[in-house]
Amino acid sequence: MSAIRKKIKRILTLALTASLCSVMTITALADEPYNSYSYDSWEEPIPSQSAYRISKTITGEEIGLTQLRDPSSPFFVSEDAVVTLSGAKDLFCDDDSREFWIADTGNNRIIRTNEDFKLLGVYYDVDGSTFNEPMGLYVKNSIYSADKMVYIADNKNSRVVKAKLTTDNKLSMVLEYTKPEEALYTQSTFNPSKVIADNAENVYAVVTSVNTGAVQFSRDGSFTGFYGANRVEVTAKVIAQTLWRKIASNDQISAMERNVPAEYNNFDIDSDGFIYTVTEKGNTSTDAVKKLNSAGYNIWDNNAGNEYKFGDITDAVWDSVSNKKHNKMLTDIVVDKTGRMNVLDFETGRVFQYDKNANLICIFGTKNSTADQRGSFSQPNAVETLGENVYVIDGAKNDITVFTTTTFGQQVHKAVVLYDEGKYTDAVPYWNNVMDRDGLYTLGYIGLGKASLNQEKYNDALDYFKLAYDRDDYDKAFKYARQDFLRDHFVAIIIIIAVLVVLLIVRKVLINKGIIVIHERERI
Amino acid sequence: MYEYSTIGWLKHCIFHPVEGFEDLRWKKKGSIPVSITIVVFLFIAMVVDHQLTGFAYNENYVKVFNVVPLLVQSVVYFITWVVGNWALCTLLDGEGTFKKIFIYSAYALVPYIVCTFIAVILSNVLIKDESIWITAVQWIGLGWSVILMIQAMRAAHQYSFLKTLASMVGTLIVMLLILFLAVLLISLFQQLYVFIYQIYTEILYRIRG
Repeated sequence: MSAIRKKIKRILTLALTASLCSVMTITALADEPYNSYSYDSWEEPIPSQSAYRISKTITGEEIGLTQLRDPSSPFFVSEDAVVTLSGAKDLFCDDDSREFWIADTGNNRIIRTNEDFKLLGVYYDVDGSTFNEPMGLYVKNSIYSADKMVYIADNKNSRVVKAKLTTDNKLSMVLEYTKPEEALYTQSTFNPSKVIADNAENVYAVVTSVNTGAVQFSRDGSFTGFYGANRVEVTAKVIAQTLWRKIASNDQISAMERNVPAEYNNFDIDSDGFIYTVTEKGNTSTDAVKKLNSAGYNIWDNNAGNEYKFGDITDAVWDSVSNKKHNKMLTDIVVDKTGRMNVLDFETGRVFQYDKNANLICIFGTKNSTADQRGSFSQPNAVETLGENVYVIDGAKNDITVFTTTTFGQQVHKAVVLYDEGKYTDAVPYWNNVMDRDGLYTLGYIGLGKASLNQEKYNDALDYFKLAYDRDDYDKAFKYARQDFLRDHFVAIIIIIAVLVVLLIVRKVLINKGIIVIHERERI
Repeated sequence: MYEYSTIGWLKHCIFHPVEGFEDLRWKKKGSIPVSITIVVFLFIAMVVDHQLTGFAYNENYVKVFNVVPLLVQSVVYFITWVVGNWALCTLLDGEGTFKKIFIYSAYALVPYIVCTFIAVILSNVLIKDESIWITAVQWIGLGWSVILMIQAMRAAHQYSFLKTLASMVGTLIVMLLILFLAVLLISLFQQLYVFIYQIYTEILYRIRG
């Protein structure tokens, strides 16, 4: 009897241990392969809560590309069709229809999926003219016709294709933009890598090795010029060369290396028609991220006295994975409807999320370490966003990583949206939730401070701004706090001044009457 | 003709930049304790400026507070100035003794110290739109001290005006040299210390082993 009981006990203990172990492994798996961090007011990295976690990764098979081999499927191509992605360079999300478009560059095709990444279409050609390494994609509903327009930067074919999606799920050519035959366009090649179109269907293409800005075409296909060139980054070398040019002969000058700006690598357009560009060149600080208006003028210009910073501010700190020095290479930017931006760093695999005023919200993602892990990238080529989710496509691992928000991230997003609309008071409950989870979140203190300022709680505002180390807002709050202080203590101040004046007069009178005697020696 | 207390002499020097230090020299006045106090206050002013300046104005990195740079910027610079000036002006027919240079230089610093304190107080009650007042106070303090310093050196060494200026510029160069040599010396001695310490540990291991 007791032996059986002992046996049962033993089995129970074993089972408990086993279940405990499994629970422990599950918690370990849920962890991100990186430490979340943020930057404080001194631009030093500080640990932060994760605003995003890795939800899943999606490969070609999971999209449903196996249907390409299935003769019974409407997507059937051939028995030996490639069912994986290969070197995918671009991912685009069409907000209106909530569909994803993937430029499957290595397989020379375009893939269209729904928001759950279920296959909707595969396009190898447009009207029979096959693609050759399509690198960039842009999809927009035309305001002129009801058609869905697809813009494809067909890199090796030296063209930008504007095609419309026909009802039988084929692409039909609308217009082909090829190398501009004009004196202004001096390059011998035309290899577009990224493309966007504005509301008026002007087409902008980033063309490889063109550093004078994006090549701009009007709706009728004519070349209208270059748009929003970067400037040359002023380094000691550039200054020295400018001086040498003054004294060098023409032959010497022509032998010199030319100072040209870095071409920008990628761009996105927001609903208001502002174009955001990123420059990938390692560690560039000039024009790393720009917000261009329709005239091509950079609104986020640090030369105008602002201090916009994008990507990692200091070199490779807090990288527990690789623990080495990085050159930041911002490779892609995406702006959603609320103006929230995601900037992807190719070198570190990190996604930097900013609000529409370029305040840092959070940082997530990492580069591959030796072990392949979900949420770490080998060649993060493009970042895309739908709702709050963020998607990163990897050109070497050939998959798409889906990041979803944590509770912390959701609260931050809600708070930031209200904050950016100037509804500081409405944002307070969300900021409080954020602060409960991360007491080092600088933007939260600024938000709470501005709310206090709006509610005329100036002393609270001062405390918050002090915590956030926001000197300018502190100054504003201090102006009102001082006003309040003077108003409240006006009588006391006047009385003190009056008493002092009276005392001085009395003293003078007493001295004059000889009641108080002061020696010349002591009068200092 | 002048009968002042110790503090009275200080006041006389500050408010009579033209003949104040000459009078001080003529009457053989000037107090070492007062001068030392002034130098200590210079150091305090530096710390106060670093730590207590109004939040909106304080652009210092206050995450960590390190007193050593402030000590170097006040006391060490001052002593280097005195030593450098003495070393240079002794060679250039200056009449000032080390003690005189120390006292006169310290007296000349008073406006700067006072104005620093005033600026710190103002920075706690003024907003940024009114920063012109703080800037004005700071510049007045600095300018006043520079003028006093020129007069002090002139009186101490009995130089002409131009020679005073030249000697002061020379002193700055000498200060650089002194600090350079000091840094060199410190790093050398550090190497020596490390060397001796290594020998010590080596011997220790041998004895144990």
